[in-house]
Amino acid sequence: MNDKAVLSVTGLRARVAEEDLDILRGVDLTIRPGEAHAIMGPNGSGKSTLAKVVAGHPAYEPTAGAVVFQGEDLLELEPDERSQAGIFMAFQYPIAIPGVSIANFLRTALQARLGDDEELDLFDFQELLMERMELLDMDPSFAQRPINDGFSGGEKKRNEILQMAVLKPALALMDETDSGLDIDALKVVAQGVNTLRKENPDMSVLLITHYQRILNYIIPDVVHVMYKGRIVESGGPEVAMELEARGYEEYRIAHAV
Amino acid sequence: MSRLASAPERADSSGAEDQGQIEGASSERATKNVARSPGGTAAEPEWLTSRRADAWDLYLSTPLPSTRSEEWRYTDVARMLPLDELAPPVPELSGPAISNGDGPVPEPLRRAMAQDRDSAGRVIDIDGSAVSVELQESLAAQGVVLSSLSEAVRSGDPLLESLLATRAVPASDGKFAAMNAALWTDGVFLKIPRNVQLERPIRLSRWVSHPGTATFTRILIVAEDHSRVSFVDEILSPDFEAVTLVNTAVELFSHAGAQIQYVSLQRMGKGGFYLANQRTLAKRDSTLDTLNVALGGSVGRVDLNARLLGPGANSDMLGLYFGDHDQHFDFNTSQDHVAPNAHSDLLYKGALDDSARGVFRGVIRVHEGAQRTDAYQTNRNLLLSERAAATSLPNLEIEADDVRCSHGATVGQLDAESLFYLMSRGLDREQAERLVVLGFLGEVLDRLPMGGVVEKVTKAIEVKLGHVR
Repeated sequence: MNDKAVLSVTGLRARVAEEDLDILRGVDLTIRPGEAHAIMGPNGSGKSTLAKVVAGHPAYEPTAGAVVFQGEDLLELEPDERSQAGIFMAFQYPIAIPGVSIANFLRTALQARLGDDEELDLFDFQELLMERMELLDMDPSFAQRPINDGFSGGEKKRNEILQMAVLKPALALMDETDSGLDIDALKVVAQGVNTLRKENPDMSVLLITHYQRILNYIIPDVVHVMYKGRIVESGGPEVAMELEARGYEEYRIAHAV
Repeated sequence: MSRLASAPERADSSGAEDQGQIEGASSERATKNVARSPGGTAAEPEWLTSRRADAWDLYLSTPLPSTRSEEWRYTDVARMLPLDELAPPVPELSGPAISNGDGPVPEPLRRAMAQDRDSAGRVIDIDGSAVSVELQESLAAQGVVLSSLSEAVRSGDPLLESLLATRAVPASDGKFAAMNAALWTDGVFLKIPRNVQLERPIRLSRWVSHPGTATFTRILIVAEDHSRVSFVDEILSPDFEAVTLVNTAVELFSHAGAQIQYVSLQRMGKGGFYLANQRTLAKRDSTLDTLNVALGGSVGRVDLNARLLGPGANSDMLGLYFGDHDQHFDFNTSQDHVAPNAHSDLLYKGALDDSARGVFRGVIRVHEGAQRTDAYQTNRNLLLSERAAATSLPNLEIEADDVRCSHGATVGQLDAESLFYLMSRGLDREQAERLVVLGFLGEVLDRLPMGGVVEKVTKAIEVKLGHVR
């Protein structure tokens, strides 16, 4: 690991666009290449909002602070530009796009990374897709299915991991990827993330989660506790264990407003 | 109305081979109307002359459809179509070189034709005149007849007198059907003899060049017992400053066990007002499938009536429309189950961007005695802009008790979440829209077992989405 931050968030405040109240109220966070960070917190603490603001969700509006990704001011970029810069968000609720196959989608996404004058080689793409699916132990027919259309919860999350594997981001934001998954599906997803981290030790991960259990499978380097729009505690994996045991009550008392 | 009233003089003699007569007739066009001089020339038989005259009377006595009628509620022709200002296309403007079939085909039409991978035959129609007719010799030898409508009338084939504007799209079908029956200039006659099955499609490639004109074309297809044919009717035009009407009547007859597949590709330019009356008559165990693709023009109105006349008859009715700017598409469909044990399945899907408007009104009518009918009707719309609008009015009228029928309609938005999902993978907004639209409309094309059409339509949609120039 080197010391240069892949993501540096400073004093970030953000709100739902057009609304008055900030949901993020001064977030500071630094992630270095190869690190896995987990952000835990109760409902409404702003942890998902943080992931969405970093990914560029149009429903959220930063009001103060900075987000710098590999030296670039992220808040100036459109969501597609952020993706092309190396950010990937695995959605909590992946969206169904009827009639569009996963393969077609990924081909378009890779083509978008090339210039207008450069054509993605279809044979190379097929090869890459097959290789990625093999890496994740997925059936090749999966990529021919329409995106998330009629998928089970587990299939949707596997689809997110496949997209991540093909797009090879520098930073993966996992927005409550574990919610709604049974333990087997959870293991499959965690295994996928671990496989990708092993393949690319510089890939950083920001895990947004409500529950400690996914952290049994994706071991974080740093665990942050988010409460009412701020990171109120950071530490090693033990923080997650303690949280699981004690809950958020002490933060509720300490940060009562 | 006075200018249009003079149209039949030229209409009667618009055969490609008859250049001199066209010019002779058109020089008189301002002085007569069809009611006083039905038919007008020696070229047309008595039955047609009187049929035109009757149609013209009906046209004059039928009021313009008003938005007070249910069927025209969303398409205000009185406002959208300046009938009084329309003129018949003047053949000499097309130039003798094009009109006699030897001249250059307009470039956009030539490009569209070049995309067609294979054809068993082709008719080229310029400004309402069939200027070129080609049919594979082997098919002609088997008795397949492909000709311009005017030539077919001259040939004296008794099918013309019995079927042209009688049982399928007669003048009594409404103002615009009457207008067409009175004023048609040319079109296509296609007859497939018993047991002859065409592997490749017959194509009609149409071009309209003059702004502010009205063109009247008829297509008559008869598939005899156990024959098979696909017919692709494509129309293109440049953009027009003035409203330019194309009125098309499509009459399709499939006899026992025959198969007809009719595809309409409407790709006119701005200012085009495309009106079509289509009726399909499917006899016992025959299949009569249609696909209406509406991409062009400013206004498109298609009235499609599928009649299932014999047991075992089958009609797949597909529709696809993609509107942008202020395009207005209106589909009025009906599935008439007259015979028992017949099947019809309608799927119309449309994507609408900018201020485009889509209207779908469909009815399944199961007539008394049409037991064991299977009839389905689905209309789905995808709105890509807040200003776009879709109206969907599915309906059932069932007078039999042992039937399986369903209908459904949806209007959905391309929402910000879907767009963000795709953009978060690196697609820009246009690329994301393109994927969603093609995916949405693809369901229709997937049901069409005709490769070349799928590619052509996909390409045309991509052009509209601004990705391919």
